[in-house]
Amino acid sequence: MTLNAALFLDHENLVPLIEELGKTLEVVAPVYAEGEPVFATWKGEPLALDADNPLNSPVEFFLPQKEVLFKYVQCSGRYTFQDVPPKSRLILGMRPCDLQAIKVLDEIFGTELPDHPYASKRMSTIIVALNCTSPGERCFCAQMGSGPAAEEGYDLLLTDVGSGYLVESGSPAGMFILRAHSHHFEEALPEHLKEKERLLSLAEEEITNRRPALTPEEIRRAIDETDWGEVEKRCLRCGGCSLVCPVCHCFSVMDRGVPDGERLRCRDSCVMAGFSRMTSGANPRAALGERLRHWYLDKFVYIPEKTGMLGCVGCGRCSSVCLSEIDRWSILREAIE
Amino acid sequence: MEKIHTTCIYCGCGCGLYIHVEDGRVVGASPSPAHPVARGRLCVKGWLVHDFVHHPDRLKVPLIRRGGRQVRASWEDALSLTAKRLKEIKEESGPNAVAVLTSAKGTNEENYLLMKFARAALKTNNVDHVARLCHAPSVAGLSISLGSGSMTNPIKSLARSDAILVTGSNTTGQHPLVAAHILEAQSRGATLIVADPRKTQIATLADIHLKPKLGSDVAWTNGILNLIIERDLADEDFIRERTEGFEALKESVSKYTPEMVERISGISPEDLEKAAIAFAEAPRAAVVYAMGTTQHSNGTDNVLALANLILATGNVGRMGTGINPLRGHQNVQGACDMGALPTVYTGYQKVEDPAAREKMERAWGTDLPSSPGPTAVEMMEAAEEGLIKGIYISGENPMMSYPDREQVKRALESLEFLAVADIFPTETTALADVVFPVASFAEKDGTFTSTERRVQRVRRAVSPPGEARSEWRVAADLMKRLGVDADYSSAEEVMEEIAKVTPPYGGISYQRLGISGLHWPCPDPSHPGTEILHQESFPIGRARFNPVEHQDLELDPEYPFLLTTGRSLFHFHTGTMTRRVHLLNRERPRATVDINPEDAAALGVRRGQKVVVESREHSLEIEADVTEEVPKGTVFIPFHFQEAPVNLLTVHNLDPKSKIPDFKRTCVRIRRADS
Ligand code: SF4
Ligand code: SF4
Ligand code: SF4
Repeated sequence: MTLNAALFLDHENLVPLIEELGKTLEVVAPVYAEGEPVFATWKGEPLALDADNPLNSPVEFFLPQKEVLFKYVQCSGRYTFQDVPPKSRLILGMRPCDLQAIKVLDEIFGTELPDHPYASKRMSTIIVALNCTSPGERCFCAQMGSGPAAEEGYDLLLTDVGSGYLVESGSPAGMFILRAHSHHFEEALPEHLKEKERLLSLAEEEITNRRPALTPEEIRRAIDETDWGEVEKRCLRCGGCSLVCPVCHCFSVMDRGVPDGERLRCRDSCVMAGFSRMTSGANPRAALGERLRHWYLDKFVYIPEKTGMLGCVGCGRCSSVCLSEIDRWSILREAIE
Repeated sequence: MEKIHTTCIYCGCGCGLYIHVEDGRVVGASPSPAHPVARGRLCVKGWLVHDFVHHPDRLKVPLIRRGGRQVRASWEDALSLTAKRLKEIKEESGPNAVAVLTSAKGTNEENYLLMKFARAALKTNNVDHVARLCHAPSVAGLSISLGSGSMTNPIKSLARSDAILVTGSNTTGQHPLVAAHILEAQSRGATLIVADPRKTQIATLADIHLKPKLGSDVAWTNGILNLIIERDLADEDFIRERTEGFEALKESVSKYTPEMVERISGISPEDLEKAAIAFAEAPRAAVVYAMGTTQHSNGTDNVLALANLILATGNVGRMGTGINPLRGHQNVQGACDMGALPTVYTGYQKVEDPAAREKMERAWGTDLPSSPGPTAVEMMEAAEEGLIKGIYISGENPMMSYPDREQVKRALESLEFLAVADIFPTETTALADVVFPVASFAEKDGTFTSTERRVQRVRRAVSPPGEARSEWRVAADLMKRLGVDADYSSAEEVMEEIAKVTPPYGGISYQRLGISGLHWPCPDPSHPGTEILHQESFPIGRARFNPVEHQDLELDPEYPFLLTTGRSLFHFHTGTMTRRVHLLNRERPRATVDINPEDAAALGVRRGQKVVVESREHSLEIEADVTEEVPKGTVFIPFHFQEAPVNLLTVHNLDPKSKIPDFKRTCVRIRRADS
């Protein structure tokens, strides 16, 4: 839902633009931390927009690994509660896969009874997405229908067309930024638009050539046919696959501190035994293999049933952090071959 | 949000990771893709390493015992009282009445300054740390045979091996990132041989799983050597050119026939032969071992036998080969390197060597004691006997980690003065006269040296809670109060001094470390560091074969089970940190004793029932877990849980060569708690 014609932003104008935006918002962007790209608060250092999508997804700014839900203070037997206000942020350089992950999370946390901590962060964050013109080795977004081009869900969308960025707006907030900072932009030329299409279809080809696609039915069959006992034997129980996944959203809640303290919630992982173990000690998914199978079913069956969208956006992070080098795509492929 | 690159606090793999910081608080962690060991991966403890940092239990203010209670005190009072009491004891009863126990969780800089505090300020060599309880036999054994007590090869070298013998190491549980490298080699076609009486995950993945009886390591290793020599599979050129003592070895192992080995260890001749041939025929073979090898009353002999094996097959000095003791704590290698040992200064320079002593005296501008001190466990005995009267303990919890808990308690209680520095209250801080609250790994600068001799940076990401301080400051402040010059403005300045007095660290400086760090020996600022030791020669010239013999363990029919201790994947050491990590504690909330199904049936015990495990002196009530993971006749208890302190049962059965206690073999009996 592009609201107006695309604009063009010279490479050199990006930093002055975000400097201006940074006056009222915290700018989060991929920057280099000891040589590797990570999403962090931008303090004027060189941007890592040309690097691969960072290993840790910017989804952590909506669903942190650990967050304080509220603080509680006890005073003569009565408790009072203090809210933690969200920060106003702008996330620069979010890739289409992560953007799609947010879309799924919006469906899970944002509808019916919205989850306040998630929704409030979501409301106070501007997303400036970046299309993937040079996809990473691990990516299979095209097979999952989430990239390499973003369709919606952004406030602004950048595509690096070589000579600069093609900028499209996707929301009233995005429009507002374009208007308020119009001095940085030029009208985009038709060749910029053509170049965008060309680069993105090249990128898509590159991604699909690397890993032949599987249909949802094939994936379902592959899950049934995988020998999960074998996967269990190899899995080193690091939990990384679910802890790094931008769509995974299970959490655990705990109170820390007596009498005063904080209610925290932290990322949880369904591949851990304690996640499904009940107080009695019984565990409906006692074997690790069953838990790993459940994880796939959630992504490819349960989340789609609930949201109409796949629970995997093809960012490839789970395979790249896997301590046992289990490549998700290949185990599914091998199972049906 | 900021992301700060640092090194994991737990095991010796030394994974690089980012700590995520928001508004001065640690809110997450993620793996470092560029780090050479982590390569963008972590084990579950690493992923969750952020969770204990701001735990409300953290010690935040110094405490002084007044009238039986520990009460809040100022830093000034706590430091002055500690300096005064240690000085008084030293003046009244001599310098050897005081001692310092440093920590393998502390940085190199902290270990160095605490070691200097003991030697230069208190004038005693009574300084030791937890390595005594894990790898003293490696240092003792490998120094005799190869001339250096650490891992000969880097972790990545394992991925290039053609055969790997893993013994006494639950690598998948305790050193997951090392396991990942081993499994990478296996998926490339390497043969994985695992010797472990327990069915650990790595054992189930092995191509050959040897299940030796506890205490038979020397016998089966000698048996493998014997087969290799008999079949002419030994590396004659290597033996001739680079070693000595082979004839004596040949002679001594010749009696370890497959039949004799089977009698002692229970390993079948076929399995023994398969393992011997796979190891000897591999172009590049490596040995990996850990506490299952060392924590025995003949731990040093076990290490010597393995060293004989790699020497006889010429597996030294090349990528993919070597003998690799895995260090349990993140910085146990560093604490040893820093001379937190009763016999040596930094870089293993002997205190008894007048030249080394003079050099340190000159560097520190003071005179130093010449006779080596007692080891950690001996210190506890000396304390109980009243010979040691004052101890400073840094970040250690001997009440949980040392053998024979009752004796440790008596020893610590009989002290005239005990000061303990830690991040959380422990069973040991509870006994202290002064408690210093100190910074956790996320709150201080410094370096750790991982199991592969990689010196790497620990970076301060947030400030310590309350009034807590980095321990290098505490050590420096105490030194100053005892009249030793110690004006360090940063941890980096301490490293500059370390580099000056420590030949293998001579070329190490913070600017050079980056994210990959440097492997010592790194003698000068232009030296690239040494990944693989002994490439051209050994520090002792030729390597030495050391024949060792199997010793029968006396079994007591009254106590028919062998109790062995160890760790779980989800916890670390005495659990002070991991038990406060919500998800880890949920994975493994309680201690259990693992019993083989056959034994359990004979005892009439089911999973979840309480049993009483009794040694000759003590007993422990604990929940039973019935599992094939342990063989018949053996039971296993992890030592992380203060509710079930297994070291109540273990005994002071010390290895005469390295003084390590035998944690891996205690005779016990078991009965149902309701019987
Ligand atoms: S399942 Fe794996 S590839 Fe799919 S979104 Fe999660 S981390 Fe990315
Ligand atoms: S990332 Fe790999 S090793 Fe870790 S829990 Fe997931 S499947 Fe297992
Ligand atoms: S393997 Fe060791 S160093 Fe690496 S993350 Fe796990 S505990 Fe930390």
